[in-house]
Amino acid sequence: MEANEAVVREDVWIPSACSMCYSNCGILGHRVNGTVVKIEGNPDNPVSAGRICAKGLSSIMTLYDPNRLNFPVKRTNPEKGIGVDPKWQRISWEEALDTIVARMAAAMAKDPRTIVFLRTVADTWSSAFLTSFASAVGTPNLWLSGAGPHCGNGAHAIYGIVHGAFHNQVDYDHCKYLLMFGCGSGAGAHYNATLAMGAISEAKVRGMRMVVVDPMLSPAAERADEWVPIRPGTDGYLALAMLNCLINEYRLYDVEYLASHTNATYLVGDDGRYVRDKGTGKPLAWDAAEKRPKAYDDPSLAKPALLGSYRVDGAQACRPAFQVLADHVKSYRPEDAEKVTTIPAATIRRLAREFGEAAQIGSTIEIDGQTLPHRPAGVLFFKGAQGHKHSFLTAMAIALLSQVVGAADLPGACLGSNPRCQGFPATGRPFWEHKEGPDGLLMAGNWVGGHPPSSYNEPSKPQSMSLGELVPLSHGTGTAFTMLDPEKYELPYKPEVHFIVGSNVVMSLTEVSAIAEALKQVPFTVCYSLYLDEVTEFADVVLPDACFLERYDICSLTHWAGYANSAIIKEWSYYLRQPVSEPLHERRFRNEVMLEIAERLGVTEGLLATFNMLNQLRAPYVLDTQRRYQWTEMIDATLKSYFGPEHDLEWFKEHGVLRWPKKPQESYWRHFTRLRTPIYFEWIPALGAKVEALRKELSYGGEIDTRDYQALPDWKPCPSHEDRSSGFDLFAFYYRVPFHTFSGTYNNAWLDDISNLDPATYALSLNTETARCKGIRDGDWVWIESIYGGRIKGRVLVTEGIHPECIAMANCGGHWSKYLPLASRSGKGACFEELMKLDWKCVDWTVHNFDLCVKVRVERV
Amino acid sequence: MARLGMVIDLKKCAGCYACVAACKVEHATPPGVFWCRVVKLESGVYPQVRRIPLPLQCMHCANPPCERVCPSGATRQRADGVVTIDYGVCIGCRACMAACPYEARYFLAELKGYYDGQGLAPCEELGYSSNGYVRGTVTKCNFCVERIDVGREPACVANCPGKARYVGDLDDPESEIARLIGNRGGFQLHPELGTDPSIYYLPA
Repeated sequence: MEANEAVVREDVWIPSACSMCYSNCGILGHRVNGTVVKIEGNPDNPVSAGRICAKGLSSIMTLYDPNRLNFPVKRTNPEKGIGVDPKWQRISWEEALDTIVARMAAAMAKDPRTIVFLRTVADTWSSAFLTSFASAVGTPNLWLSGAGPHCGNGAHAIYGIVHGAFHNQVDYDHCKYLLMFGCGSGAGAHYNATLAMGAISEAKVRGMRMVVVDPMLSPAAERADEWVPIRPGTDGYLALAMLNCLINEYRLYDVEYLASHTNATYLVGDDGRYVRDKGTGKPLAWDAAEKRPKAYDDPSLAKPALLGSYRVDGAQACRPAFQVLADHVKSYRPEDAEKVTTIPAATIRRLAREFGEAAQIGSTIEIDGQTLPHRPAGVLFFKGAQGHKHSFLTAMAIALLSQVVGAADLPGACLGSNPRCQGFPATGRPFWEHKEGPDGLLMAGNWVGGHPPSSYNEPSKPQSMSLGELVPLSHGTGTAFTMLDPEKYELPYKPEVHFIVGSNVVMSLTEVSAIAEALKQVPFTVCYSLYLDEVTEFADVVLPDACFLERYDICSLTHWAGYANSAIIKEWSYYLRQPVSEPLHERRFRNEVMLEIAERLGVTEGLLATFNMLNQLRAPYVLDTQRRYQWTEMIDATLKSYFGPEHDLEWFKEHGVLRWPKKPQESYWRHFTRLRTPIYFEWIPALGAKVEALRKELSYGGEIDTRDYQALPDWKPCPSHEDRSSGFDLFAFYYRVPFHTFSGTYNNAWLDDISNLDPATYALSLNTETARCKGIRDGDWVWIESIYGGRIKGRVLVTEGIHPECIAMANCGGHWSKYLPLASRSGKGACFEELMKLDWKCVDWTVHNFDLCVKVRVERV
Repeated sequence: MARLGMVIDLKKCAGCYACVAACKVEHATPPGVFWCRVVKLESGVYPQVRRIPLPLQCMHCANPPCERVCPSGATRQRADGVVTIDYGVCIGCRACMAACPYEARYFLAELKGYYDGQGLAPCEELGYSSNGYVRGTVTKCNFCVERIDVGREPACVANCPGKARYVGDLDDPESEIARLIGNRGGFQLHPELGTDPSIYYLPA
């Protein structure tokens, strides 16, 4: 009797952080007698404010999915291939680690660069640790799935140059007109997915007009006041035509903003370069008051000219950068844009005027005692708009809309996601801010991957598998190419070990069969995974990962800035991920295992040193590289270094979250800095020339296209726009739904059931009239075949809500692994990547973005 | 006595299905059972086309036709208007399902788990027993009585990322929901049937 009373009935709520997508919402996990029964949003954490999405709510079904991998396995069938059973055999952790360490040690002895790591953008918090581990091993080869179909390399590069940040948001709280191009903000995708939903809801009730440009009546377009259907891959043309209307037809531009916050006044010569002061080398501007040139930052520059043509020292005529832009966009007439985009010219003019007028140029607003310019016209774009061959130029064109009307990093406008953080008040940490680059232009101070895009970056002959050295504006995404054919790329080594962490790359990058071939080239592959998913068909050993409900983690600063605590949150919030459940079965969290591997490889010292640097650790909390730490001890040191000794791991375990106000100087930093951002990207052609020179020395240089290194944007067709193959009459593309993240959520039973409820998720959306012409009825099964030869099968949803030239599907359906029984059933969507091609002609060489525009033909099964 | 009601603002609804998942995790409903669901209503012809997500659930009608036809007395109406089912009393005749014009009710033909043939997940095992599901009975939204009785909002309301759902007293003209219904043209589904639902919608 007494013994029974002594049994404590457990009933606890544990604050933690979701990881079903990169939004990392603050959550509470409810555990009763050891069983996790519920996940809710944590109302005390501004990152969710108590409201989370279907994925986070359903995550306990991922924790308890009986199809999870629960112990290490090794393959017994040496043949690797799509759909080929590896004939897994259970092994002990000891055997698994012995095998992995032996293979890694051998590879390191040969050349540490032969070890390649792969992770996913869906798990952002792992970045600093995994980077530290890779760096300690001595390899530059850490690549990302998601950098292909799911990521925004063109957007990141331009956001970095124009907004000083890796990501952008719109300041919905003060916005009156939202214009989105191919982006899912407010509809369950993009950053801080659920917070954006709520912020847009409140703005809509307040009267904000929402316009969404998209080939499909997407989840975001459903919410809009106006859906503007567009032919895929032509968003850049629309933006250029709108710029033409704003500048040349309606004269709707913010003179004061352009003159003081951009390089619009810098004089540009016929050679496209700045006209510089002979003494100081500074770019010149024209003072219309004194009718003579002065340095752009001369305090006596009373009336800098934005327009006109001038002669400096009797040389050739030169023009202010803004005049160059005005002249450049003149050829983008709305009537021509109509032919390319299919959007009526009158609609384009109306959108331009609505947007320009909504910016309320000249208006101000008071926030926290500061009088700030109020520019309540927000532009946002992401994958749909810039996931194309000419990604960078499209991103540039759309970003210029914000610049021209002065709606950048100010209340109501498009905001760089936290380019400035002045730290927790008591410690001043963590801290970062933008830096001064050449010619008074701003450089990002917090950047994923280290070097923000700037003219300081120098291309060089590639030594890394990503070929990132040839892509100084962005991250290289060439690893699939080099892995497939290492000799071709003149690398002095071949990959020996592929360490894949939570990335189902075979389904989520491009051309499935080519990725499969690339994976097969590596002699030894280890996957650290929740499931025996499709990529594990190419693994030799698979380790059972702990899911986010079973582990400790903290956010790396680069990812905190833009993903977890994005600019729509007007508060800083740093928080802990901690286990809501102990790791079940033999699952182990990879960071702890990697510390063990590092120790056995003798590289712990390097790991700790890099971790110290990436996480900005300061004395007395700098990790002693001669000591050995548990992962939780590393978290403890990091937290204390940021927030003081009282805010240690134990404090965070109890409280979950530490929050403090975001100042206007942080949220609306633009008003408080003298640093400028470009409307004329003067240095980019020069950077392109350096890549071009390098290209000529490379045997594969013929595949590199440097023509998009331009100072101003143009629209150029994707290969699909120029394809005239008979019968291939539709564009296929994928889109995001609010209840799936890439490929990792399809075996979650609740999310599967919700997908069954939704009419579109598991179907192929086809326009009613198009379907009628092809004799296809709702519910029919069809084959889609791409110009590249890929074929997929699916069930058609006939809808009015899609451009008649298109067929669309939700991303990453169509699984086939027999270890994912729910996801791999027939009728669970289709794998878009089967339609694509691993080919440089489908890649933007300025930012290494993959083109998602693919021409297809459709026929009934 | 207050009459509990809910307002769903279709201008704010993001069509994200989080209410469906919030209900699932709150009540561990079996596969294919949705106390709360969302349908998408498409109208118009390309390019003038709209698609509206419409969240649906038990309307907790003031004049519930399900209660009238229930022969066992399992379906009852609380004093606050919430319509409940007593699984211990329900005989599974399903007359209520035929009577409900909102298709809000589900028959629990069997109590299998989501991972068919692989047993119940621990959260299902606990959830099925704490919710008292009984094979061969009818189930539906209970307005989260276990939450509202301790002063918490229903799960779908508390979690809604679009902040589209409100709960309150329909009888109090000063309540937030009464004012929203008055100011924004709130409407019920199928008012002509005379069921007088307690769920109101605000136009998109």
